[in-house]
Amino acid sequence: MKSLFYLIVISSSFLIFSAGEYRCGSMECDNFKADVSDKASLQRGLSTYMNYCYGCHSLKYSRYKRVAEDLLIPLEMYENNLIYDGSKIGDLMEISLTKEDAIDWLGAYPPDLTLEARLRRPDWIYTYLRNYYPDSSRPYGVNNRVYQNVNMPHVLEDMQNTLSESQYDQVIYDLTNFMTYVADPSAEQRKRIGTYVLLFLIIFTAFAYMTYREFKKDLK
Amino acid sequence: MSENTIGKKSLEWVDSRFPVVDLFERHLSKYYSPSNINIWYLFGFLLLIVLVMQILTGLWLMMNYTNTAEGAFSSIEYIMRDVDYGWLIRYMHAGGASAFFALIYLHMFRGMMYGSYQKPRELIWVGGWFVYVLLCAEGFTGYVLPWGQMSFWAAQVIISLVGSIPYFGEDLAIWIRGDYIVSGITLSRLFAFHVVLLPILIIAVVFFHILALHEIGSNNPDGIDVKKHTDQDGVPLDAKPFFPYDITHDFYALGVFLIIFCSVIFFFPEGGGYIIEYVNYEPANPLSTPAHIVPSWYYTPFYAMLRAIDFPLFGLTAKFLGFVVMAAGIAIFAALPWLDRSPVKSIKYKGIYSKAFLAGFVISFFVLAYLGSVPPTETKNMLAKVFTFIYFAYFLLMPIYTKFEKCKPVPERVGDPA
Repeated sequence: MKSLFYLIVISSSFLIFSAGEYRCGSMECDNFKADVSDKASLQRGLSTYMNYCYGCHSLKYSRYKRVAEDLLIPLEMYENNLIYDGSKIGDLMEISLTKEDAIDWLGAYPPDLTLEARLRRPDWIYTYLRNYYPDSSRPYGVNNRVYQNVNMPHVLEDMQNTLSESQYDQVIYDLTNFMTYVADPSAEQRKRIGTYVLLFLIIFTAFAYMTYREFKKDLK
Repeated sequence: MSENTIGKKSLEWVDSRFPVVDLFERHLSKYYSPSNINIWYLFGFLLLIVLVMQILTGLWLMMNYTNTAEGAFSSIEYIMRDVDYGWLIRYMHAGGASAFFALIYLHMFRGMMYGSYQKPRELIWVGGWFVYVLLCAEGFTGYVLPWGQMSFWAAQVIISLVGSIPYFGEDLAIWIRGDYIVSGITLSRLFAFHVVLLPILIIAVVFFHILALHEIGSNNPDGIDVKKHTDQDGVPLDAKPFFPYDITHDFYALGVFLIIFCSVIFFFPEGGGYIIEYVNYEPANPLSTPAHIVPSWYYTPFYAMLRAIDFPLFGLTAKFLGFVVMAAGIAIFAALPWLDRSPVKSIKYKGIYSKAFLAGFVISFFVLAYLGSVPPTETKNMLAKVFTFIYFAYFLLMPIYTKFEKCKPVPERVGDPA
């Protein structure tokens, strides 16, 4: 009887422990709601991405042209300002950093981030980028509350130090919003078409129902 | 008028060479279904529609898919981004897989509830069960093709189960994989199964299933034999022709189904991670195992059974025993027609034990589905054992409880008081 009691106590404590695991490492994920129809936000996010992230993190499943068109950026302007390595506008967004160099310089190859917002979810990215803290025991002097002992340096440190908290949060919001867009670029088109499809189906179903009802009368 | 004669003449021309009119009558306009069938009888038609949709979307996906370890993952993203409406085709196919299983579970449950597997419909049931087994294989092989982390590790786990078979298991697993671990060689052979062998088998067995059904006719919620009472032309009195009465009902159901289906694929295509798992957005990496390996939701009841068996017995490993229990959990459906000794078909007229055991089966199926989708703990493993036991009790005790329970009398005709 006693052992059964302990079994229940131990097993219920397992339940409590598993409930205590957060999706965002040591903390709850902050609330993040993407708005991929906000083109200005996406453009600002793209600019942050290209200036701070793109040196190491490719977006190799996406094409420059698609991003330019979806974000309403004139192709020529995009080509002149946001393509650094002579790639063509129709090319995939690959980076020049090689695997060997990356491992030599950074100890690891920075992952491609095209699908990061689908893999880890946008709220994770939003929380992660806002939760670096100083830690002298780490090689770059920083650690992260969401991703303990992460290899990535805090590349936005200068920005975080110069901007106010709400301004910095806005930068991260725009960046995360852009990453949400690039992970699923058809989302807007999908929802627009989906609305028409559902409208059609409701009409179709109404007629199908009336036909069914008419024929059903025969059977009475 | 002249058009009519041309139409009539061409029909005669064809009909004297191929029996179109006869087929139309036999399977549609003079195929009778009981007048008391209810909404549980709509899923067969919807399954057929989903099958056609999966074949068509699969065909279009295949036009741009690359079946190599190097190219598979990026070819999926190519379809999602660069192929016109590629995202739509892929979401239809991925969502279609989940819809297929949701519908087939409802369809199977209908059969269990109304005793549709009983004499003389044993072969219809066994054929349908075989379609389900093939569909499980089709779903598994398809799941591997995007070559994400979960694709790879699901394949690794499932194929390694074969390796747990004593004596020759390891050799068999290597033979199936074509390699020592899951690799590009495994991927391309699973691709071949997914697009050629399994679809052909599924279509063939579905054909058999429908042909067998049309020979005997549908069961109904009361389990009454409607062929017993016919008019002077041999037309059953408590029945109606499939065309146009059932087909119009089916089209109405199709509209409702498509509204639900399109709401999902256009607005929640990942289905909260149940239709497309988030972990699968990371390319397959044999060197890094994901924290939790979870199968698709439609396999989780059986996955829970696999994990529930965590003890070795009679010198057999826990893994092998779990594999056997899991396979038995799927295989045992085929035995239903011979396990049920009840004189009545429908649950409406069966006794209290049949009702209780069927309820127990449904609850255990849902609980196991939940348990198979979350990381195991000691309590959850205990629960999985209990519900695996209840699941099998429904089947294995059936010959006893159906024989001794008291059933209600079945009415002679539809609408008669019981």
